Amino acid sequence: MPIKWVLHWQPNAGTTVNTQILAEVSQCVESINGVKGGRWKNTLSFYKPMLREQANALEFPRDFLGISLQEQPNKHYMVIRGQRLIVEAESSIQTIMEKLQSYKTRGALNFEGFQYQLGDFQLRVGKVISIHSENLRGIVMEMEYLPISSWETSHQIMGEFFDIWQEALGKRSLPGHFAHIEPNFSEYGLSDQYTSQHTAVQYASIVAQMIATAQSSQPVRN
Amino acid sequence: MECVVQGIIETQHVEALEILLQGICGVHKQSLRIHELCLKSVSNLGLVASEIRLLCDLEQPEPTWTVRHVGGPMRGAGAEQISVLVKPMLESKVSKNALRLFYALGYKLDHEQLRVGFAFHFQRGAQITVTVSSINKMLKLHATDEAVPVTPGIQLVEVTAPASSENYTEVVASVSSFCEYLAPLLHLSKPGVSTGVVPTAAAAAASLMSDGGGTKL
Repeated sequence: MPIKWVLHWQPNAGTTVNTQILAEVSQCVESINGVKGGRWKNTLSFYKPMLREQANALEFPRDFLGISLQEQPNKHYMVIRGQRLIVEAESSIQTIMEKLQSYKTRGALNFEGFQYQLGDFQLRVGKVISIHSENLRGIVMEMEYLPISSWETSHQIMGEFFDIWQEALGKRSLPGHFAHIEPNFSEYGLSDQYTSQHTAVQYASIVAQMIATAQSSQPVRN
Repeated sequence: MECVVQGIIETQHVEALEILLQGICGVHKQSLRIHELCLKSVSNLGLVASEIRLLCDLEQPEPTWTVRHVGGPMRGAGAEQISVLVKPMLESKVSKNALRLFYALGYKLDHEQLRVGFAFHFQRGAQITVTVSSINKMLKLHATDEAVPVTPGIQLVEVTAPASSENYTEVVASVSSFCEYLAPLLHLSKPGVSTGVVPTAAAAAASLMSDGGGTKL
């Protein structure tokens, strides 16, 4: 399947993300001749252990994520980032996890927006919102290059396109930029040939980064 | 949901059972070689203790993995009266590293076994699966190549059919009526209600073997 980079908006120090930035980013895609297409949506849930005693809570992973991707509607991806572990399962695993009553989802994020076609590139710009409140938590962008499915082979063209995109967006003087995190896929046992598991790992990585950024920018409480 | 009945048969009569099944179902048997791992949650995890099964199908060129969760069987007067066990069952096909995931989540291996035999899948009022297999235990962890039978000379026969809360009574009826065809060779009942081997098995097997299953029993 085609390779993609999942980018996230990194606000400048002291600033936060807002809907104005999202609107500007969308306009920018259209200004470089991106043709607006349909909607897209991915979902990421945080699984937390249900414990009888909190005493030895540290024995259980705190970074266990469940990810549903529009590109694979019948699948669910489970990631423990700290252990570089990704498992692909049929969607029914979500019901199995509920029945087990050992982990439950505490909070989830939706990534949703519109997709744009730009030659061989497909761009998906979206907002990151908590499913319980409509508050904007971040901005995400998928940059997909349809002709290539090898991560290595695509690296140069993806890098070049990313630079063009950054330059186009730079003219708008927005308080931040899109960042690209490149997870070490081989640590997860994933090969150079791109799969949806690669997409799920990228989402897990950007969410970890977004949480770290949000925590570091919070005012210190006395 | 799933409807289940089980029975046992002596290995010497398995060939006759195979001929009978082939005759009834009209489909070919499929080889069965499944490594089954039963995992249980560690004591502190979950509001209640939980159990999950990982099945690895070793018959496939590249082994495939499935997670299976089986809930408590249906209870009550209605459930008592029927001769088939009805229980909630959910499965999800997973990538091969699922065992590592469940270990990481706080599940421990309780026991493992290897089922070797064959299965028939066919439609007869319901989507019925009959498996005839010997249960083997591993002397060393995951050593499926060195597995030894738990009950030498005896094989487990299991008849299962998927059902829903809407149609389970019909599925139970289909499973029950199918079981009657096998009655001369083995008796099938709810799991845990052991009825042993049937006395007519030897004679029925001899008859099947002599005419190749062409005559109705």
